[in-house]
Amino acid sequence: MMWRRLNAMIGKEFLQLFRDVPILFILTWAFTGIIYLTGHAISMEIRDYPVVVYDLSQGSHSRELVSRLQKPYFKVVDYVYSDAEVTAFLDGGKASLAVIIPPDFEHRVNEGNARFQVISDGTLSVTATIAGGHIAEIANTFSRDILLKQVGLTSAEFERLPQVDARIRIAYNENLTHAWFSSMLEMLNMATMVAALLTAAAMVREKEYGTLEQLMVSPLRPAELFVAKIVPTVVMVLLFSLLALFGVIKGVFDTPIRGSILLFYSVSVVYVFAAASLGLAIAVLARNIAQATMMLLLILFPMMFLSGAFTPPESMAPWMQYASLISPLRYYIDFGYQVLFKGNGLAEVWPDIVGIFVVGAVMFSFAVWRFRQVYK
Amino acid sequence: MFERSLAIAKKETRELMRDPVYLGLSFLVPVCIMLLFGYGLTMDVKHLPIAFVDHDRTAISRDYIDRYVHSEYFDLIAVTSEQGDATHLLKTGRARVIVDIPSGFARSVMGEEPVSLGVTVDGSFPTRGQVTYGYVMVINGLYSQELLTQFIQRQGINPDAILPVSMELSVWYNPSLESKNFIVPGIMVIILMLFPALLGALLIVREREAGTIFNLFASPARRWEILFGKAVPYSLVTFLEYLILFTMSVWLFDVRFIGSFWVLSVGALLYSFCTIGIGLLVSVLTRSQLAAMLVTFLITVTPAFNYSGFLAPVASQDAVGQFAASLVPATYFMDIVRGCYLKGLGLEHYAGSLLALAAYTAVLYILAWLALRKRVG
Repeated sequence: MMWRRLNAMIGKEFLQLFRDVPILFILTWAFTGIIYLTGHAISMEIRDYPVVVYDLSQGSHSRELVSRLQKPYFKVVDYVYSDAEVTAFLDGGKASLAVIIPPDFEHRVNEGNARFQVISDGTLSVTATIAGGHIAEIANTFSRDILLKQVGLTSAEFERLPQVDARIRIAYNENLTHAWFSSMLEMLNMATMVAALLTAAAMVREKEYGTLEQLMVSPLRPAELFVAKIVPTVVMVLLFSLLALFGVIKGVFDTPIRGSILLFYSVSVVYVFAAASLGLAIAVLARNIAQATMMLLLILFPMMFLSGAFTPPESMAPWMQYASLISPLRYYIDFGYQVLFKGNGLAEVWPDIVGIFVVGAVMFSFAVWRFRQVYK
Repeated sequence: MFERSLAIAKKETRELMRDPVYLGLSFLVPVCIMLLFGYGLTMDVKHLPIAFVDHDRTAISRDYIDRYVHSEYFDLIAVTSEQGDATHLLKTGRARVIVDIPSGFARSVMGEEPVSLGVTVDGSFPTRGQVTYGYVMVINGLYSQELLTQFIQRQGINPDAILPVSMELSVWYNPSLESKNFIVPGIMVIILMLFPALLGALLIVREREAGTIFNLFASPARRWEILFGKAVPYSLVTFLEYLILFTMSVWLFDVRFIGSFWVLSVGALLYSFCTIGIGLLVSVLTRSQLAAMLVTFLITVTPAFNYSGFLAPVASQDAVGQFAASLVPATYFMDIVRGCYLKGLGLEHYAGSLLALAAYTAVLYILAWLALRKRVG
């Protein structure tokens, strides 16, 4: 009996969704174009950091120094010949770093006390700090190479001097390709947002059109109504996630997928169910789609913020670390990266799965409970 | 001539006032986001969990470990002698860096021989990976340099001669390198891109869904009068939102502001009309509120977040990225905002961006005017 009621309702929901051709187009764009755009962009990493060079020395040493400002970290956008031009480049944001080499650089290198000036645009303080570190390293290596040449040491001889050579290996993402990270993050975020918004809209629409009363007098129980609203969302979001994962994340950015797709999708079913429950909880409170969207954003922004994607959880203030425990996205992002990216299995990710289950169950129960209260 | 527009503006204002929940939310949500980002966002990567595999277990290897532990950048999770333990820590994310000290480390250091050790950094969050890489390089480099200096001193060479070339770094615009100085104004630009557009996105499509659009079709109001009447009150609400966010940024978060408030406000007013215009155009083109909301969300947040220069300089993007940036109005407003907050430039620097914003806005309203048909079907 229950299955017949559910079937009928779910069928109606699917029909409504598939007839909304514009929404299908929009979702396709969301899970392909937007994910591509996010992966393509440069974010907080240093890549092609724009440098302007004012070389007053024009000697072989200064040219050698400038030639070391190269990809992937730096990109020399222009060579200028006056202070005013340097200022104009920095003011206009056309360059974020200016390297100024004084006229006496050449002979002071030979004397062993040369200096050059670097002006950094500190606006984007995080990248400015990283860029400062990289250019300091370039200066040090340059310095060392000069020294070696001056004392007549070959680099093989140099390597026999006492020192500690740290051979740093980057696990999971050897070249620190940012697109691998950001495109996957965008997919997980997009799944969350779309799941909550689609479900909320499906529910609020009944309110706006006044068809909710019809459903109330039907034999459908609240929990059944909710499941019927959630199922089509779960199916759609998972299908679109597949498109994003294989079409863009793997297809375009060539992100290695090391773990079990099956595990990822089984847990994703639960997660999307949880996110859709959040949409329902909102729909119970909101009177129209506009209100629902605003409420959703009020919840989603903190959720994304606490998810650990902006600030690594270990660097968060303690109150934020605790607050992040109620964000289902935190578990899902951690889970997604561990499974897809690190190739971890159940043994490692079970705490995340428990988190997703608990938060999802709480949300669904809250929505059903509120709904019963309001529409008794 | 403006009578009809005024009448529509009055009606829109009244409608806005009669949904206090929505109006309240559209102010409350941006303020909350601002508070969250202003107070909570630390982009600084600190307290990274680090683990050591110490095969050497000598005073010297412990001294090397201390170099990491005694910095605020790393928090010690474990020192083991089992490779497997460390690998497991990295796998589960409980450690982000593993340093592998080989046996014989102390012997090599004492014997003035070079020694190499393996470091594994978790690269799954690339920004964090890049920063971690930098920290390891610096801490290890300092240690190495100490060894080298001692050695050279023993050889009777003046250690000051080690660095024949040195670099002088000066930081402009944000000399204390505080991240709030770019995050708070930046997030204001993003907020003012998204929320006004969402407000505007409902203006036409809501009437279409409710059927009241026919009243407008049948009224003597011309198309531009309808658009104008709808856009003005909402743009003014947006401008009010800007004033609130600006006040928060300067008074609450104490963000450095050295430029002209008037230039910024002129930019903000243009930007308000522009972002309301984005919503309005979407509203004219879509047939359901859900579609309008979704489209608006997708065309505003992601492009503004990734391409406007919020987190990375526009100049570092490639050709595709720079083209994308030029299509996002937030890029132009971001330029004005950065200039006014941190750079304090002369008016001539803003002319280009102000002009671009004005042109962008004009195009949006012309497109909306062309797409709005006072016909049924």
